[in-house]
Amino acid sequence: MNPYILAILLFGLGLGTTITFASSHWLLAWMGLEMNTLAIIPLMAQHHHPRAVEATTKYFLTQAAAAATLLFASITNAWLTGQWEIQQITHPLPTTMITLALALKIGLAPLHAWLPEVLQGLDLTTGLILSTWQKLAPFALILQIQPSNSTTLIILGLASTLIGGWGGLNQTQLRKILAYSSIAHLGWMILVLQFSPSITLLTLLTYLIMTSSTFLVFKLNKSTNINTLATSWAKAPALTALTPLILLSLGGLPPLTGFMPKWLILQELTKQGLAPTATLAALSALLSLYFYLRLSYAMTLTISPNSLLGTAPWRLPSTQLTYPLATSTALTICLLPLTPAISALLTP
Amino acid sequence: MSLLRITHLPSGRLLSAILHHQRLLPSIIPLTVPKRAVIQGEYKRPGQPRKAKFPWKKINFNFSKGLEGIKKHFTLLKKEFTDRWVGPEGKPIVEHMLEQNRAVWEFRGPESLGEWTVSSDREIGGHSEAYLKLGRNNNTCFLYGTLSSTPPRDGETRYSGYCTMRSKQPLASFDRKKHHDWSSFNTLHLRVRGDGRPWMINISAETYFSHQKDDIYCYFLYTRGGPYWQDVKIPFSKFFLTHRGRIQDDQHPVWLDKVNTIGFTLGDKADGPFQLEIDFIGVCKDYAHTEEFAYEAYKRNPEV
Repeated sequence: MNPYILAILLFGLGLGTTITFASSHWLLAWMGLEMNTLAIIPLMAQHHHPRAVEATTKYFLTQAAAAATLLFASITNAWLTGQWEIQQITHPLPTTMITLALALKIGLAPLHAWLPEVLQGLDLTTGLILSTWQKLAPFALILQIQPSNSTTLIILGLASTLIGGWGGLNQTQLRKILAYSSIAHLGWMILVLQFSPSITLLTLLTYLIMTSSTFLVFKLNKSTNINTLATSWAKAPALTALTPLILLSLGGLPPLTGFMPKWLILQELTKQGLAPTATLAALSALLSLYFYLRLSYAMTLTISPNSLLGTAPWRLPSTQLTYPLATSTALTICLLPLTPAISALLTP
Repeated sequence: MSLLRITHLPSGRLLSAILHHQRLLPSIIPLTVPKRAVIQGEYKRPGQPRKAKFPWKKINFNFSKGLEGIKKHFTLLKKEFTDRWVGPEGKPIVEHMLEQNRAVWEFRGPESLGEWTVSSDREIGGHSEAYLKLGRNNNTCFLYGTLSSTPPRDGETRYSGYCTMRSKQPLASFDRKKHHDWSSFNTLHLRVRGDGRPWMINISAETYFSHQKDDIYCYFLYTRGGPYWQDVKIPFSKFFLTHRGRIQDDQHPVWLDKVNTIGFTLGDKADGPFQLEIDFIGVCKDYAHTEEFAYEAYKRNPEV
């Protein structure tokens, strides 16, 4: 892509999220979300490929619907209460509508159906931006509105963890697996939102780091399929050895970073008296763990059928930047001992 | 009553004459007229059958066929639910990981011919013929016929003389569209025995969302004739994009995760009989083939 256009689009992406972060008026927040959508559309469609066009169309339609619902809900709130402040939204009808609109924006179940197909049609870089950066602005709004109807949020959260776990079980395409993992993680974030927004923020940040490292691993291996992962042991053996740790961190196993949010969420849910919910969420994490383990099994623990003559290709240095991968992998694996410091940082 | 006599009727009797229109029937046009297309005739392309039937005459109600259809669809639906317990696409994940060759179409019985559609330029009024039958010992499929490049005389077609065999899109229960997922493979493997004619292989991917319904990825299949079978292996990176037969400038490789149909076309401007025998059509994974795309590999619009 022309570097000037790429710069403008990336600047637009950054500006949209920043506007949403900095806004206290609903219209400005909506504007930031729309800018994000419009800036990423050319990035998604840049390869002029039918599948990319399909992903772009689906993404645009869902995000535009969500933004329209958001606008409608904020106008309804302004009409009912006269308030345009983001944090002053108190009437239950606009609150529910905004929660559902933001759920459609980020891909929470039951409004998740677009996410696997959209991620499948994109290349890994744009998929990374979609899974990480595009979640920040809606979450900024979700964290501020403090929804009070516990039932909706619990249902959204549990449905997302279950659907994210079950949906990812029968996939062989890596991007669809990451989409379902994203849905499951978003479910965990929403479960604890009304009790402790700081834990939601913590989960979001750890999810961003873990997903970035996974996407970067797949980008380095240029793999979009489980079978392509199976040949990565010959190309990058050190990375092949580290990737199961990244995947298990996504699955939430101690002593890796991914355990930190799950532990804190289960603790908080139990404190609030929602032990069955906590049990159900923990059990659904097992489903996700199954497909992460399957990925590690295919990549590291087995050797794909090959001929001995073809075992050792030239291990040329990668043309891609490896600093982001190195940083995010280190953070994905080693951050659990810092849990007290991090929770102290995020709790106001 | 004839039209002339109706015009001379007093208005009261005219009304009753219209209401009792059965009496008018033999001599004038009936008052319930079929649509204009049926009477006057739309422009009918030569080669298309005349479809001048009233809508209610087109119903073909058959109770047992309906029951069979219901049984078939519910069986497919049950299979979809039970396949999920085994693995993606009904096969365990280990099989997906170890799979290097998959025979997608094998012609081992009469029901395998039902998955293919044969057409020729007879549909636009030409004179080519194409037929599909099972080959010897019910082991292969045999596509044969005659090409004739005489264009149909409809004033607008200039060239003619083609025939094609295209696979039907796989369908799930209740006629929902399914796709072939060949993303673990990178080569098309065919075993054919032709007569020396150059054929073209057309792969059509899912185009519902891109609105480019006629986007087809093509490559050539040069048959060598003779009594010996020919193993043809074509990597998917060699397929180029065409739209309605014209090669596009903006090329991209075919994405194999949603392939709808595969087809073979013959249109080599040589009149006369042709035949093509296909043993199987399969996909395989060639680990030694690392090319991603054979065309337009240079950077377009390089920055200077």
